[in-house]
Amino acid sequence: MPLSARGRRISGELAETGAPVSPGVMGCEVVRRPELCVGCGRCVAACPTGAMSQDGWFDPAVLYAAPAGTGRGDLAAALHRIARHDPSGPIRVPERVLTFRAVVFDAERCVGCGACARACPTGAVAAGPVTSMPTPPRALAEMGSRP
Amino acid sequence: MSAELAVAAPAPAAASAAPAAPLMPAGEPLGAEAETGERTIVAFLCRECAYSAADAAGNARTPLPPTIRTVLVPCTGRVSPLHVLSALAEGADGVYLAGCLEGQCHHRVGNLHALDRVAFLRELLGSVGVEPERVAMFTMSAADTPRFVATARAMHATIARLPRLRRG
Repeated sequence: MPLSARGRRISGELAETGAPVSPGVMGCEVVRRPELCVGCGRCVAACPTGAMSQDGWFDPAVLYAAPAGTGRGDLAAALHRIARHDPSGPIRVPERVLTFRAVVFDAERCVGCGACARACPTGAVAAGPVTSMPTPPRALAEMGSRP
Repeated sequence: MSAELAVAAPAPAAASAAPAAPLMPAGEPLGAEAETGERTIVAFLCRECAYSAADAAGNARTPLPPTIRTVLVPCTGRVSPLHVLSALAEGADGVYLAGCLEGQCHHRVGNLHALDRVAFLRELLGSVGVEPERVAMFTMSAADTPRFVATARAMHATIARLPRLRRG
């Protein structure tokens, strides 16, 4: 785990008080590539603030975006051969089917720690240096306004 | 000794000359069997229970639908959605899983995982316009040979009612 015990405690407090730091201000920027995601949920288990979560739905349309040569790509190819029309919409995932749930990313709760990127086995989540800073910290903005 | 051999030798020739007993006795209620003889149903059988039932059915010379192709798996929980969809994409008209009774899985919960995967696959097939009945799952005990035969015939009848699966 990339976070120390103290870091996890601080992150947990942030999550509980509902005042997390917005992404791009602290830590890394998290970039997600949903077409590579296999829905294993390791990022959900690794996330200290609950920014990643899995819902109970799966959209078959995302299968077709999976690259060929992967398990998802083979599944999409097989489905495409027998399909009569395009997928009609998200379908419900039963309780014991573990690897098809869509991962939902909540940018409001992300603190940019990068734990999800380390846990991801397929490279569907990457954490890197911040490339854009949508909302600069208030302290920095105040410093800039001083003469 | 040689006399016995001489007497015994013509027996196989006589047997082959006689009309071979039909594998499927006439009058078996198998639905539109003549029309659906070219179809294929892949059955993934659990090693702990359904395969034993199928084995007993074979030893008892019970007539089974000619469309069934059995695949031995260590547990129905081993069967992934890719196995089922690949079978359908490569030529099968129907796929079914036969595993242990609920609560009696040799690997504790493998058949429950398989049941949910089949439910998921049926939804997936329905969302792209394929009949969900092409995929099914049955549970039975190792000694329940009549149930294995009944499920095989039921699946055969289900697939016989459906048109052949079109592939793009």
